[in-house]
Amino acid sequence: MRLPFFPTPDLGNTIITLMAAMVLVLQIATVGQRWLISNIRIFAVQSMLLAAIAGIVAYFNHATHIYYVAFLTLVLKGGLVPWLLERLAKRIGIRREIEPLINVPLSILIAGGLTLLGYYVAESFYHPEETSVRAALGHNTLAVAIALFLIGFFTMLNRRKALTQVMGLLSLENGLFLAAISLTYGMPLIVELGIFFDVLVAVLILGILVFRIREAFDSMDVSKLRKLRG
Amino acid sequence: MIETLVKSGMQLVLILLIAPFLSGMIKTLKARLQTRRGSDVFQVYRDIFKLLRKGMVIPETASWIFSAAPYIVFVTAILVGLMIPMTTTHAPLSLFGGVLAVVYLLALGRFFLALGGLDTGSPFGGMGSSREMTISAIAEPAMMLAIFTVALAANSTNLSEMAKVAVSQSWKFLAPSQMLAFAALFIVLIAETGRIPVDNPDTHLELTMIHEAMILEYSGPYLALIEWGASIKQLVLMTLLVNTFFPFGLSSDWTARGLALGFLFYIAKLLVAGCLIALIETSNAKLRFFRVPELLMIAFILGSLALISTFLFI
Repeated sequence: MRLPFFPTPDLGNTIITLMAAMVLVLQIATVGQRWLISNIRIFAVQSMLLAAIAGIVAYFNHATHIYYVAFLTLVLKGGLVPWLLERLAKRIGIRREIEPLINVPLSILIAGGLTLLGYYVAESFYHPEETSVRAALGHNTLAVAIALFLIGFFTMLNRRKALTQVMGLLSLENGLFLAAISLTYGMPLIVELGIFFDVLVAVLILGILVFRIREAFDSMDVSKLRKLRG
Repeated sequence: MIETLVKSGMQLVLILLIAPFLSGMIKTLKARLQTRRGSDVFQVYRDIFKLLRKGMVIPETASWIFSAAPYIVFVTAILVGLMIPMTTTHAPLSLFGGVLAVVYLLALGRFFLALGGLDTGSPFGGMGSSREMTISAIAEPAMMLAIFTVALAANSTNLSEMAKVAVSQSWKFLAPSQMLAFAALFIVLIAETGRIPVDNPDTHLELTMIHEAMILEYSGPYLALIEWGASIKQLVLMTLLVNTFFPFGLSSDWTARGLALGFLFYIAKLLVAGCLIALIETSNAKLRFFRVPELLMIAFILGSLALISTFLFI
C-alpha cells in the first residue's frame, strides 16, 4: 500500500497551487451567491486560505518575516474585517438579496471568461526554458491571482449597493496579495504593513461612508447618488 | 469468464447491501444534527423489504412504460455500479467507452423515470418529470466536463484505467484542475441525488418536490425498486467522486488482504462524504427552483475551467 502523500520536492508548490485553486472556486461562488452575509463569510474563508498560503511560502523558503504577514492576514482579513462588515450589515439591517446588474448565470459565465483571461495573461509570463523553482511556483498561482483581481473588479462594476461594492474591492485586494506572495515571496514587511493598514482604514472609512449614504438617501444604491439633495 | 462472474457477483452484493445503508446513515446523521432522534441506520432496509411484500395499485391510464420504468431504473443503476471501481482498481464490468457508458446509462434510467412520471397523466408526475429534465440538462454537461478532466489526466476514459493511474501517482491529482473538477462534480452529485439545496428528499408533501413528484403514483414492489435504484445511484455517484479524486487504499489485486483493506478505506471515504452531505443538508435551505440553474451554472463553469486549465498547464 502506498502512502497518500509521499513527499516530493515540489510538495509545497503543489499544496500552494491547490489552495490557490480553492480560493478561485470560492471567488466564483461569491459571484453566484446572493446573500451578503454569506459573501462576507466566504471572504473570511478566502483570506484564511491566503494566510495559509503565505505560511507555506514562509515555511518552504525559510522567510521568517512572511510568518508575520500570514498572521496579520489571518487576524485582520480573516477575522477583524469580516467582523466589522458583518456588524455593519446588521446595523443597517440588510435582509434583502444582492441584485446584480447582470443576471447571475451570465455573471458566472463572465467570471469564467475572466479566469481564462487571467490564465492567458499569466501564460505570457511563463518561460519554461529559463526555469527556476520560483518561476514554476509563480505561473499557476499568478493566473489565479489575476483572475481574482479581474473578478473583484467585475463584482464592483456589477453591483449597485455600496456595501457589496466594498466586497468586490476586498477580493480585488486579495488578488493583489496573492500575486505579491507568489511572485516575490513576500514584499518587505514594512510594505506589507502599509497595505494591511490601508485595507483596514479603507474598510472603516467605506463603512462610515456606506452608513452616511444610507442616512442621506435612504438607500445604498449608488446609482441614486446622481440626484442632488438639499 | 467465471472469474468475471464471481467478481461481478461480489460487487453486486456489495452494491445492493451498502446502498440502503448509506441512505440510512445520512438520514440518521441529519436527524442527530437537527437534535431529533430519528430512525436507526437500518430503517431503509426495512422500508424496502416491506414495500416488496406489499400489493400494488396501478393507475388505469398507465401503459407498459409505467411498469417497465422501475426495472430499467434499477438495472441501469446496478450496471453503472458494476462499471465503477469500488474496493479494487479493477471494475468487474468494462463496457465500451467507460465513463461515457456510465453517463449515458444514468441518463437512460433518468429518461425512463421521467417517462414513468408522465405516463399516468397525473399533473404532479408531469411536473416532476419536467423539473427533473430541466435540472439534468445542465447537470449532465457539467458532470461530463468534470469527468473528462480526470480522464485527460489519466489518458483514458476507462474507469479502471483511471483508477490505476490515480493510485500510482496520487500527487498529480492535487493539480488545480482536479480541484475545480471535484468542486463541479460535488455540486452535480447534490443535484443528481436530489439533496437539499436542489430538492428535499424527506418529503412528498411539497409543491416544489422533484423526485417525489415523479414517483407519486408508484406503490409496492415498483416503489421499492425505484427507491432502491435511487439509493444505488447515489452510492454509485459518491463512489465515482471519492474513488477518482481520493484513490487512497484502492487495492490493485484481488487478494483477501487487499480486498479487506480496500473495503475499509472505501467505507471510511463513504462515511466522510456522507457526513459532508448531511452537514450541507442541515445548514442550507432549499433553493427556489429557478435559482437551481444558477447553482448548476457554477458547476458547469468550474467544470469547463477545469478542462481548459488542463490544456493550459500540464
